[in-house]
Amino acid sequence: MVNQSSRRTRDMIVALGVVISRELKKTFRQKSRLLASLVRPLIWLFVIGGGIGSILPSDSNSNYQQAIVPGILGMTLLFGSMLSALTTVYDKESGVMRMFIISPMSSYGIILSKLASSTIAGLVQVIGLLIILFTLRIVDVGQIHIPLFIFGLTCTALTCSTIGLITAVLSKSLDNFAAIMNFVIFPVFFLSGALYPIDNLPPVLHWVAVANPFSYGVDLIKHSITSVSVTPDFGKVPDIIVLFAFTVIGVTFSSWRFSQESTSAALVSILSKGRKS
Amino acid sequence: MLSTLLKPSEGSILINGIDVSQNPREVRRQIGLVFQESALDRTLSVEENLLFCAGLHGLKKRQVKERISALLELFSLENKKSAPVASLSGGMRRSVDIIRGVLHQPKILFLDEPTVGLDIQSRRRIWRFIQRLIQDQSLTVILTTHYLEEATPCDITSFIKAGHIVSSGTPDSLIKEFAQTVVEVECDNPDMLLKRIDIPRSQIITDDSSSILIRVLDDKKPDLEKIQTTLSEGAMSFKVRKPNLNDVFLWLTNRREGQGT
Repeated sequence: MVNQSSRRTRDMIVALGVVISRELKKTFRQKSRLLASLVRPLIWLFVIGGGIGSILPSDSNSNYQQAIVPGILGMTLLFGSMLSALTTVYDKESGVMRMFIISPMSSYGIILSKLASSTIAGLVQVIGLLIILFTLRIVDVGQIHIPLFIFGLTCTALTCSTIGLITAVLSKSLDNFAAIMNFVIFPVFFLSGALYPIDNLPPVLHWVAVANPFSYGVDLIKHSITSVSVTPDFGKVPDIIVLFAFTVIGVTFSSWRFSQESTSAALVSILSKGRKS
Repeated sequence: MLSTLLKPSEGSILINGIDVSQNPREVRRQIGLVFQESALDRTLSVEENLLFCAGLHGLKKRQVKERISALLELFSLENKKSAPVASLSGGMRRSVDIIRGVLHQPKILFLDEPTVGLDIQSRRRIWRFIQRLIQDQSLTVILTTHYLEEATPCDITSFIKAGHIVSSGTPDSLIKEFAQTVVEVECDNPDMLLKRIDIPRSQIITDDSSSILIRVLDDKKPDLEKIQTTLSEGAMSFKVRKPNLNDVFLWLTNRREGQGT
């Protein structure tokens, strides 16, 4: 059996490679989506950051635009990784999921490969954004604790991918994409510490934000930027614990749900759509 | 069920000596599946799709590159290697799907109506390719189809009605067992004509609104000339021909309880 399990590990690594490379190919081929993923955060940063910033009392040390940089980075990951994980639904609809299901991969393996590929897709987009931010001198490399920064971005990307996977295994088609947008992406983004410090929020919003795993991702990124404008809400250690716990539980749930689905009649009927008898 | 996608309600299935419910992943390594509908990613090229699928089976690029080229050549698709799948015709796409199904060198290939929705030329081409595949790769093909002429070259044909195998055997023996000759009468009003001739119901295969098929067994040979003269009025054509699998299928599916043998 040692032979079999070592072969499975080797196969899994190869499979992981092709799933990631497919995701990257698709990310780079959809030029408009890629462009949107870079323009969207810049609009937020300049329009919202500039607009809201102008009505806040400004002092020389802190400014609003600087304060939302971690939140905007988080938003890029949220859109990048989460949308990429949501393509699992597209795979189900278009039939590509058949290739996964009939391969020797376990459902856990399929979900893990999706997690890895969407995490990387999100990180690639955030790297693109960072290049722009560094060039425009909005973020100063000197103020960044680089290892913690990379770690924070990765954890946030993992968390966003997990949110996407959970949504993907729970939804049947992309028809309700608008609903996903309204009920998942926007609440996750707005009800977090991305745009404002959590402490000042009214009680209900405060508790929702505390329960939102995305808040902890943004918070960890805040910890890695030592600008006076950026004030973290939680400690580093709680951030890491929450992010990891959420990812592990979310991935376990998604794999379980996915395996239920692949043995249940529902998915089989999708797979053999059009069959008459 | 055989392909591990469904769990059997009872009993067990062995494929190549491996229990399907015990070790589905190992079984999936040994079988290839081609569905009625494409499983390809339309936005990727033919080769990218094939490499992706090979990768899911744990096969590295350099291990399958040559095999992909050889298979594409077999299906006359070598010049479509880098074309996006979305640009291929239905027949070509089906061919790529079949290549996808055999990439990992399965022992058994399941084809679920591989030619449904294709024009007659593409269907013939696909069958030529599948024949070549069977010869080259020592492969067992399990085929489900509604086009029975496609089942004629098979070794074993089974008819399944409501989930049960109602008849099984080599196509030749099924046909022989069924009848020696078939009389096909094309007409507008089969019910009226049927009243005129004296043939047991069990020998009438079908009586839809436009034709009568009569199965002729050697031992109970009806008088063909008599039938012809009786039916000449009202019949558009009268044909005596060899039976085929379509007749067997019609007979099996139209047969009601206690009728026929």
